[in-house]
Amino acid sequence: MYTFAHISDCHLGFQKQEKLQKIEQDIFENALDLCLKKKVNFILISGDLFHNSLPDMRVTRYAFRKFKELYEQNIPIYVVYGSHDYSPVSNSVIDLLTDVGYLKKATIVKDSENKICLDFLEDSATGAKIVGLPGRTVGLEKKYYEILDRESLEAEDGFKIFLFHGGIDELKSKATPEMDSMPLSLLPRSFDYYAGGHVHAKSIENGYDGYGTIAYPGTLFIGHHSDWEISTKRTQRGFFIVSFDKKIENIEFVSLQKAEFEFIDFNADGMSASKARSELEKQVENIDPKEKIVFIKIRGELSSGKTSEIDLGKIGEHLRNQGAIDVKINQRQFSSKEYSITPARGSDRDETIKNIFSENIGQVKIKQPELVGQEGVALAQKLLHKLKQPKSLDEKISDYQKRIEDDVNQLLELDEK
Amino acid sequence: MEKLDIVGQIVGGQVGQIAIREKGGKQIELGDLLVSKEGNSTLILQVFDLVYGSQIPRGTHELMSGINLEKVPYDAEIFEPDLRNYVLAFVKALAKIDSKDSSVAIPKVLPPFFSEVALVTEEDLKFLSRGDDSFYVGKIRSGSKIIDVPVWLPSRDVFSHHILIPATTGRGKSNLVKTILWHVLNEKNVGALVLDPHDEYYGRKEKGLKDHPKAKENLVYYTPNNPQAGANFLVVNLHSIRPEHFNGIVTFSDPQEGAIRTYHKVFGDDWISAILQERTHPNLEDFSKNTLAVLRRVFRLTLGLDVDSDGEIICYNRIFDAGSKGVKTTDQIVKDIESGKVVVLDTSRLADEAELIIGSIIAGKVFERYQNHKAAGELEDKPVVTVVIEEAPRVLGEDVLKNEGNNIFSRIAKEGRKFQVGLTAITQLSSVIPKTILANINTKIILGNEMQQERSAVIASASQDLSSDDRNIASLDKGEAIISSIFVPFAIPIKIPLFDELINNSKNETPKTKAKTKVF
Repeated sequence: MYTFAHISDCHLGFQKQEKLQKIEQDIFENALDLCLKKKVNFILISGDLFHNSLPDMRVTRYAFRKFKELYEQNIPIYVVYGSHDYSPVSNSVIDLLTDVGYLKKATIVKDSENKICLDFLEDSATGAKIVGLPGRTVGLEKKYYEILDRESLEAEDGFKIFLFHGGIDELKSKATPEMDSMPLSLLPRSFDYYAGGHVHAKSIENGYDGYGTIAYPGTLFIGHHSDWEISTKRTQRGFFIVSFDKKIENIEFVSLQKAEFEFIDFNADGMSASKARSELEKQVENIDPKEKIVFIKIRGELSSGKTSEIDLGKIGEHLRNQGAIDVKINQRQFSSKEYSITPARGSDRDETIKNIFSENIGQVKIKQPELVGQEGVALAQKLLHKLKQPKSLDEKISDYQKRIEDDVNQLLELDEK
Repeated sequence: MEKLDIVGQIVGGQVGQIAIREKGGKQIELGDLLVSKEGNSTLILQVFDLVYGSQIPRGTHELMSGINLEKVPYDAEIFEPDLRNYVLAFVKALAKIDSKDSSVAIPKVLPPFFSEVALVTEEDLKFLSRGDDSFYVGKIRSGSKIIDVPVWLPSRDVFSHHILIPATTGRGKSNLVKTILWHVLNEKNVGALVLDPHDEYYGRKEKGLKDHPKAKENLVYYTPNNPQAGANFLVVNLHSIRPEHFNGIVTFSDPQEGAIRTYHKVFGDDWISAILQERTHPNLEDFSKNTLAVLRRVFRLTLGLDVDSDGEIICYNRIFDAGSKGVKTTDQIVKDIESGKVVVLDTSRLADEAELIIGSIIAGKVFERYQNHKAAGELEDKPVVTVVIEEAPRVLGEDVLKNEGNNIFSRIAKEGRKFQVGLTAITQLSSVIPKTILANINTKIILGNEMQQERSAVIASASQDLSSDDRNIASLDKGEAIISSIFVPFAIPIKIPLFDELINNSKNETPKTKAKTKVF
């Protein structure tokens, strides 16, 4: 009997706050330590190992260190690119890890003239045959599958694993956030195990004609902002360990210890701003935030007052002072009758932002022409751009604040006090 | 003025029944379109009856026939036969076209006595120009002759005001539906839900909608049978089914209805599984075992559901799932429809009721969403939606509505156009659909039908006066049709193209380009 581990969506480098970065690293290292401890024959990583193709040096260092450890123990790791660590010119850190031999890319293209023809990688210790296709942003990987030579893959005998990164239409659940996905029929049939990534919730399915087990272990910790809320709801995070011989014998989900969470789901619907503020403060006082990640979801429509009258920044600061590891606040469904943001869509992020400004600029009752109409929209976009500038690695916080303030003052043509 | 190829001359009659004497050597057909020109206007006429005319008394004809048949040794010839014997064509005036501005009016006066008439030409029908948002149904037909004038119908208006396709078997219903959907696939202006009980539209084994150049972007196919690459497994989670989805589709007694409502209240989305697994709850003690046994039988017969020896729910047709499969199937379909795609569901494995329940879930969701879009003032930005349903009397039949009450399909038929949601109802039996619903269906694409009762039902509810077209309809060959609609100036006779020809033409138009794909 052999075993392999199936890990996905580690999103190393997603966290920006120091304590959360430590948790992210600990969970990743813990997962690989468990693989060593359980003496798995090999490991599969179904994409989004890193949050971006070139993560910062801190992340790269600990990842290299850990993969080296597994390499020295002769545990091969087979990977495909995810939509986050994809690089069209092969300069992702994954390629670096592949070049030094710590990782093996499961995508070996024989030919892509008319169809994409793939070659299997055979795991030397177990004889398992592994092949995979990478994920791309906005579901572009679908194009690969449309011209994939499925017949040759299906005709191969032996114990076969298909490694992929993408959502499957038929496997979406109520918990799955909206994402690009493709029909199951685009995956080649007759594989024993389909090692999926991209979907951040754990799921495992059997019983589709012609298909073996289709499994998503989900993210190890947090890889997307929507994961915070899911993680607070006692959702298990971890990875699969699969036992097999000529076919799958057992699948075990290894749950990883995660940070403690505290969840405040606050419905402000119909309240005045002052009432909502005092009610929320009461709820905040009722929790013990020490060494926990606090997630506050505030929703509903205020009957009077503005949403800004509830100083969420101050609440967050209070909780951090009480010892919270970090505070995450979701106010996407929070609005006021007096002032609400009308949503708008666009083909990309910039266009969406522009459309939202255009939809809502009419609510601004100011006489200065540069702050209203299309001129106002353009200014708001520039302002947002300035405010989004990140802090440089070697920059002091006070210098960063000063820099941003100067930029904004210059943009708004304001005199310094 | 251009020289007309005269085929006859108006010699009498009345409004709606103008008599034309056929010119010798010409042959006017039933259904022919003729034109009579006067000044700047062109009158379009259509032949609905043909009779013999003669200046010689009938007795003389009979005597001459006897002479010929009995080989009496006399010469029996009519002097100037073309002058004395002829054919009279009865026509009705369809439209009056002003050649200056191509405006169309309903004729309110008779054409001048002795006006000469000619067969219609492409030039005469130039006024039938194509609008921006339209779909193709065929070419104008004059009798059995095809005029090279394409007929395009305005999509938004026609689909939201419902389409009826009445015909008996073998008259080209499937070909027509495929032709319509083929053109709908060109753009994303129309979202369609197609319930396909014969699995004939997608083209799993033969040519079909999958061969459309834009099929990848605009066509979605769900099937429970080994889907081809790119198609979806049709799996619907039982949690998607609510008690109201059975309305007008399955009849329940009052106690059964009560049990269903209570189980739904107690177990929520899991109510069907709870009934099947005989789960207990203090609030459910009032229901008799017989009532629940009947419900289990109904679910077995309609949805193919049963419970195995381990108490697990199984589905014989493998379309319904009590576990985690198919949770978002109906939502995904609704999303696709709302984005202007054509969604074809292969329901060939399903019992009638199960097919209609799935249709009911999806149509209900679409309807609800479009009501919300209207309330939010966003309806104009959304594609119009059509629900294509075969054997429409299953949900629109008079007895069904009387015995089992309204269902989402009848509601769409009555109220859908306010929300841009329409039906494309296909039927052999228009006569069993209530007149109120037939009157709400503002476009009828009438194919051949030999059943007088069915023709009468369609004629009585047509948007134009088709009272004299009974014989025309009876004589329609395969692929020939008459479009009666409030969105066309007159009842237009058409010839629907063969679907295979459409595919071949499109292949000729779109050369394939091959590019190497880089995979990393």
